Amino acid sequence: MFSKILIANRGEIAVRIIKTARRMGIATVVVYSEADADSLAAEMADETVFIGPAPAAQSYLVADKIIAACRETGAQAVHPGFGFLSEKAEFAQRCADEGIVFIGPNPHAIEAMGDKIESKKFAAAAGVSCVPGHIGEIQDVAHAVRISEEIGYPVMLKASAGGGGKGIRVAWGRKDVEEGFPAVRAEAKGAFGDDRIFIEKFIESPRHIEIQVLGDKHGHVVHLFERECSIQRRNQKVIEEAPSPLLDEATRAAMGAQAVALAQAVGYDSAGTVEFVAGQDKSFYFLEMNTRLQVEHPVTELITGLDLVEQMIRVAAGEPLGFEQKDLKINGWSIESRIYAEDPYRKFLPSIGRLVRYDPPVEGAADGYVVRNDAGVREGDEISMFYDPMISKLATWAPTRGAAIAGMGRALEDFHIEGLNHNVPFLAAVMDQERFKSGQLATSYIADEFPDGFAGLEPTPFQADVMTAAATYMHRTLAARARRVGNGLSGPLSRTEWVVAVGKAKRPVKLSDLEDGLTVELPGEERTLRLSTIDWRPGLPLFRGELDGAAFTVAVEPAGEGFVIRHRAAKARVLVLTPLSAELHDRLPEKKKADTSRLVISPMPGLVVSMDAAAGQTMREGEVVCVIEAMKMQNIIRAEREGVVKAVNAKAGDSVAADEVLVEFA
Amino acid sequence: MQHILDELEKRREQARKGGGDRRIASQHAKGKLTARERIDLLLDEGSFEEFDMFVEHRATEFGMAEQKIPGDGVVTGWGTVNGRVVFVFSKDFTVFGGSLSGAHAKKIVKLYEQAAKVGSPVIGLFDAGGARIQEGVEALAGYADIFLANTLYSGVIPQIAVIMGPCAGGDVYSPAIMDFIFMVKDTSYMYVTGPDVVKTVTNEDVSHEELGGYRVHALKSGVAEGAFENDLEALTQVRRLIDFLPLSNREKPPVRESFDDPDRQEPSLDSLVPANPNKPYDMKELIYKIVDEADFFEISKDWAKNIVCGFARMDGEPIGIVANQPQVLAGVLDIDAARKAARFVRFCDAYNIPIVTLVDVPGFMPGTKQEQGALIKHGAKLLFAYAEATVPKITLITRKAYGGAYDVMSSKHIRGDFNYAWPTAEIAVMGAKGAVEIIFRADLNDPEAIAAREAEYKQRFANPFVAASLGYIDDVIMPHGTRRRIVRALKSLKGKQLSNPWKKHDNIPL
Repeated sequence: MFSKILIANRGEIAVRIIKTARRMGIATVVVYSEADADSLAAEMADETVFIGPAPAAQSYLVADKIIAACRETGAQAVHPGFGFLSEKAEFAQRCADEGIVFIGPNPHAIEAMGDKIESKKFAAAAGVSCVPGHIGEIQDVAHAVRISEEIGYPVMLKASAGGGGKGIRVAWGRKDVEEGFPAVRAEAKGAFGDDRIFIEKFIESPRHIEIQVLGDKHGHVVHLFERECSIQRRNQKVIEEAPSPLLDEATRAAMGAQAVALAQAVGYDSAGTVEFVAGQDKSFYFLEMNTRLQVEHPVTELITGLDLVEQMIRVAAGEPLGFEQKDLKINGWSIESRIYAEDPYRKFLPSIGRLVRYDPPVEGAADGYVVRNDAGVREGDEISMFYDPMISKLATWAPTRGAAIAGMGRALEDFHIEGLNHNVPFLAAVMDQERFKSGQLATSYIADEFPDGFAGLEPTPFQADVMTAAATYMHRTLAARARRVGNGLSGPLSRTEWVVAVGKAKRPVKLSDLEDGLTVELPGEERTLRLSTIDWRPGLPLFRGELDGAAFTVAVEPAGEGFVIRHRAAKARVLVLTPLSAELHDRLPEKKKADTSRLVISPMPGLVVSMDAAAGQTMREGEVVCVIEAMKMQNIIRAEREGVVKAVNAKAGDSVAADEVLVEFA
Repeated sequence: MQHILDELEKRREQARKGGGDRRIASQHAKGKLTARERIDLLLDEGSFEEFDMFVEHRATEFGMAEQKIPGDGVVTGWGTVNGRVVFVFSKDFTVFGGSLSGAHAKKIVKLYEQAAKVGSPVIGLFDAGGARIQEGVEALAGYADIFLANTLYSGVIPQIAVIMGPCAGGDVYSPAIMDFIFMVKDTSYMYVTGPDVVKTVTNEDVSHEELGGYRVHALKSGVAEGAFENDLEALTQVRRLIDFLPLSNREKPPVRESFDDPDRQEPSLDSLVPANPNKPYDMKELIYKIVDEADFFEISKDWAKNIVCGFARMDGEPIGIVANQPQVLAGVLDIDAARKAARFVRFCDAYNIPIVTLVDVPGFMPGTKQEQGALIKHGAKLLFAYAEATVPKITLITRKAYGGAYDVMSSKHIRGDFNYAWPTAEIAVMGAKGAVEIIFRADLNDPEAIAAREAEYKQRFANPFVAASLGYIDDVIMPHGTRRRIVRALKSLKGKQLSNPWKKHDNIPL
């Protein structure tokens, strides 16, 4: 076994690898760029080597620097993590040439699977099912019909040069092909000047299911079952799980066998993933093979009890696999959510910046589920523009899928992040959807369920109850304390009857104390809420408690009046009012929203470093309009609204005064 | 007997109606509450006791003799905010448009005298059309009486103005003298002369909002210390502010039990100051992380944002915070920042509120606009305010403290009690680059020599230890332990006694 390995990566995966290496008694070396000098990975590693500026092309992607770092530190092996150099055959080869062990597959396997056409050929030869289709010239409609019938409907007619949804048509039967083929051809000719068409099997509502394989240098290959990663946004995986709710034992076995066959065909000798596209009818077709550790590997680890990084290190060191296929079993269910620094309410625009507050849920066994959080950040760290904006990977495990989803919902409630926007409310919304719970997944899931983007959800009755209970408790705590400052003129807070407004919905409540909490009577509904096991004090951003025995966590912040409370995807302003105040609230008409300015105004005198807006351009809210340097500091000016730019009044190099109009929106 | 008692109820009922149902409905339709509704929200439930409910004006001309409404356009009285006594006047727009008569003014002056006697704040809710012109000079005299009361009790009892409707002409100068002005967005405006006069004199077409809305005063002129969404939010926030303030200059600020650990460590503060000296960071993060329960009441949040002022508590004790904001104009001191902070520092000093100053300042703002605008005199206000202040003064330098601005920002030299610095602090006459370019002017054509000199200068001065070795910095502290250190410093200063030489009053460079 190695005594020292180098990790040619950063962030959470570097931290992840260090943890395993440390457990195995292997010393670790982490390379770091300028942006990562104070990173958690650099802090945890036994040794660090500086490899250059923040952009990856000048640091993490430079093979020479990695090799030199190995030489300098005496590391015997390199773990590439994922991304960066992990699937570069030449790097794996270079390591081999330099006598450094590459903790990953052999260069030949990387190369074979790295080429899309080559890998399909291998797959076909290995008996892996590929998407049926016809590549090549199609003469006429009759030819097209013949091919379509060979493949079996539905089929997709696609312009060879196509893209952007143009020149694509789905045919469900002969008639569709007869009508569609000439049309697509004409469209292709018009749009791309190329009327070549190909036909392939159309997979309706496809799902993304992948098989984890693991091989050693002694010719053994096993599979560690599947992961389903259908919840994607712009081809970026967001939520993954293992196993897949689609598969039955027979399909699982068939997919596993094909994946193993492919791995064996290329002499695969590490952890890798064979990706399939699957139809709702459980038909499945090979997509590609990823010759590295996957981001979403924790879900596989949680259901198999194996440590994939450990396995990779062991096989790289030449050890044979310590188990056979028959020893492997799926235990329970695991879900993973990727926590991204992005603004779900603003079309998922990246939201980089400082993690002013970062408080993830506690890892380990919770109430009926297990939490794992793979992160490479601490409170105060920066999510920079240079790398992936992922903050962490939150995974839960439970004996059943339902319990794993419920656990994920709770773990997301307990995740507190401030300083930048994040997708936690969005992930929570998915966990609460019936369709997700029923396992009716598809790669179009997010587009189907959130066609107009994400705007948060209205509180459900349970959520409104939770918010009501939490707000009354907070209000009472704060008001009672405020009164204790006084000279006793008003006495202690004795009022028990209040009106609680959750958003616009008001209802009267009657409060009384419990031994360890609060009873909230709802006279209008003849119900009583019992709030207990409260974990909150003024100033804390999370309020934990149990409502009638159901545990919850809400994010709370003081507002101009009352509180803003978020439970999962529902966010509302909650007011606790005296009956008189409630009446006055009703009396005051809602104000018309003030006209937001159409102008972007320079907030300070300074020099325009860059102007990113151009006349006629459509800008999204929050998008960078320009950068102004003042007092030697760069200030980023962002669009406060969405709109089309009407005029740009300043350019890079201009000096601008305070309040000068920089950009006008139409 | 019963009918005599009933008569009182009848008269009260009539007075409470103010200008009548129709005008009340119109007030609501404009998104405004009535004078009495506002008082009900501002004060503790049921605590309001009204004075002079039956006062009427004595004017007879222009048909005024026939028009009398009890109370005469202003509701006055006292009540409590969380059990603490405050005095309130609330202009009633439904009665003669809230216009000021002699009788109306007398009610306010009487209120002031009572408030000053017992040592309680006055809160004025403004929603009025100006002088009652039917009364002529009588109204003007009334204004002057109020201005005098505002002035005499300035520094004796806190005075808070909330502008909740029109506030024009003579009416504006009373809030202007008071300690804080808050506005309600979209329904309030203040100006000396209205759009009609502006049109006549300068031929400028301008709306009420453009001339005196919250965007003018809370964002540009600095006249208002804040603006809120509606009447409800404004009154809630005034209550919150009062919780931080002593009731008069005879009192210590109100200590309240804290739910926050005074020794709370904040490891992430160790990475607050970025490695790159030109990269901004948010000073408010430091404020929120060191004060009790992340509770900070900011003053003039949207004006002169290069300096942050506001109230908070440390282990239950109120403090005033003044902090340079590197995120805006690099935290430079300019005219507006100096004016904003100077007035805030003087308020704190007047009311025995300790001042915590967080420093990251590159200097004073250069430029002709600033010099022509009297940066010298305005900048001196802040210097003067800090120098004369005798309340406990704790200063923490996080990064830059350059030049004269270092002296100004509550330095040891102007009687700072505890002057701390983080290890990232740089206390110098100016940045290394600028300094080297002056000292080694001869080497300017030799970039290598200049770079070497710069490194040398940085090594020598870009740290807190030179100042610490001279005793100008009492201690260099770890960022994560800042809260604990400031809490301890405040406790140790509880018995502070310091007074300035006798004088009639000072002569601050106004």
